[in-house]
Amino acid sequence: MSKEPADPKIKEKVLAYLETVEKAKSKDIAKAIGEVKSDVDNAIKELAIEDKIEYLYITTTFVALKGKVGAP
Amino acid sequence: MAEDKKTPQLDELEKGPWPSFVTEIKRAAVKSPAANELLGLMERSYEDNKGHWKHGGIVGVRGYGGGVIGRYTDLPEEYPNLKEFHTMRINQPSGWFYSTKSLREICDIWEKHGSGLTNMHGSTGDIILLGTTTDELQPTFDEFSDAGYDLGGSGSDLRSPSCCVGPGRCEFACYDTLDMCYDITNEFQDELHRPMWPYKFKIKMSGCANDCVAAIARADCSVIGTWRDTLIINNDEVKAYAESGMNIQRLVCDKCPTRALEFDAINNELTVIPEDCSRCMHCINMMPKAIQPGKEKGASILLGGKSTIVKSAFMSWVIVPFMKMEPPYTEFKDLMYRIWDWWDENGKTRERLGELIYRVGMGTFLREVGLPPVPQMVFRPRANPYVFWQEEEINK
Repeated sequence: MSKEPADPKIKEKVLAYLETVEKAKSKDIAKAIGEVKSDVDNAIKELAIEDKIEYLYITTTFVALKGKVGAP
Repeated sequence: MAEDKKTPQLDELEKGPWPSFVTEIKRAAVKSPAANELLGLMERSYEDNKGHWKHGGIVGVRGYGGGVIGRYTDLPEEYPNLKEFHTMRINQPSGWFYSTKSLREICDIWEKHGSGLTNMHGSTGDIILLGTTTDELQPTFDEFSDAGYDLGGSGSDLRSPSCCVGPGRCEFACYDTLDMCYDITNEFQDELHRPMWPYKFKIKMSGCANDCVAAIARADCSVIGTWRDTLIINNDEVKAYAESGMNIQRLVCDKCPTRALEFDAINNELTVIPEDCSRCMHCINMMPKAIQPGKEKGASILLGGKSTIVKSAFMSWVIVPFMKMEPPYTEFKDLMYRIWDWWDENGKTRERLGELIYRVGMGTFLREVGLPPVPQMVFRPRANPYVFWQEEEINK
């Protein structure tokens, strides 16, 4: 994963996409918003640190907007 | 409530001379209501022949995507202290070397924030802490972080790399497993804490082919110590073994899987056929004073070990027969990044690396990752070598 700061525009696109779904894998997010997967991974990392999104484990790992998905 | 219930089936597991997890949970139950209810819930599971756990969901530590496994009972009214009973994984030190001070520190933090129950260690290698609530996750992490610990891996990320005790306690180690494990754990921090892949990925390091961390059957990437030159045989020590009554022919030579050893029983001398030696460690294990690994040491890189998920259980394949393993491990790290990029691009959800290679073929994998096919890439030992003739390479 890149050690450089994430592109703010990609972070915005990730957040906008996650508004439209319950949860998603980063690969699917990258495909949906038309960005390179590694750049999306980097954006997700920063958004998680900023507490705007969270990782969820439901047979595999997804990401979702913070608080959007409840406990099983 | 659990304290009102008998646990006859669990009590059976306290009988016998071996340690009992039931006894330990009963000890924890004196201080922890959650541990007390855990006894009742387990007895209930044995009665019902089903587990009463749901798992998954939140991670709950800011910025982290792994290291916490959400667990909830499906009987929260009967067992309110198990309504949330999350597992935390703490990244273990290389080779699992601890001071008693650090073990006490870990237990004190965990008794303060959780059930006090631990599993030392999980099969991933981490310190496993069993049972806390959602509200306690961040404070627990913060206190462990202040004490110098970090979360381990879980979910679709790099699991905490683990290694054997290596040169810390073992003369057979062909490289410094402890240093390499520490180095790559620091290098791959994002891969460890931000799950981004199709599924989990495990790296395990054994210093020799005895493979004391069982990497070959469990790890997506096994780094197993070996040597490139030939066995070193001290025939004075061979004589001593023979004179002590050891049947070298039967116990050593006849059990060599490739019959690479010849024993002269008249002169009590042992010789090796270097090109036939598969470096399995059997002769060294039997005669450690007489036989040692060669001088040019490093490791073999293997890929694809896993338990049953999408496909059945796989043993690992040799991918790189020999690689020097010295800091800063640049060649190994570069290889990992190439492999991960390829797997991330081509893997389906929950498909381990070995399953993807099995699906698309070893030839495709090697070409796209940029690795040369070599004779040591065998499907089974000494059999079925892969052949990678491409259509355009055939001279018709």
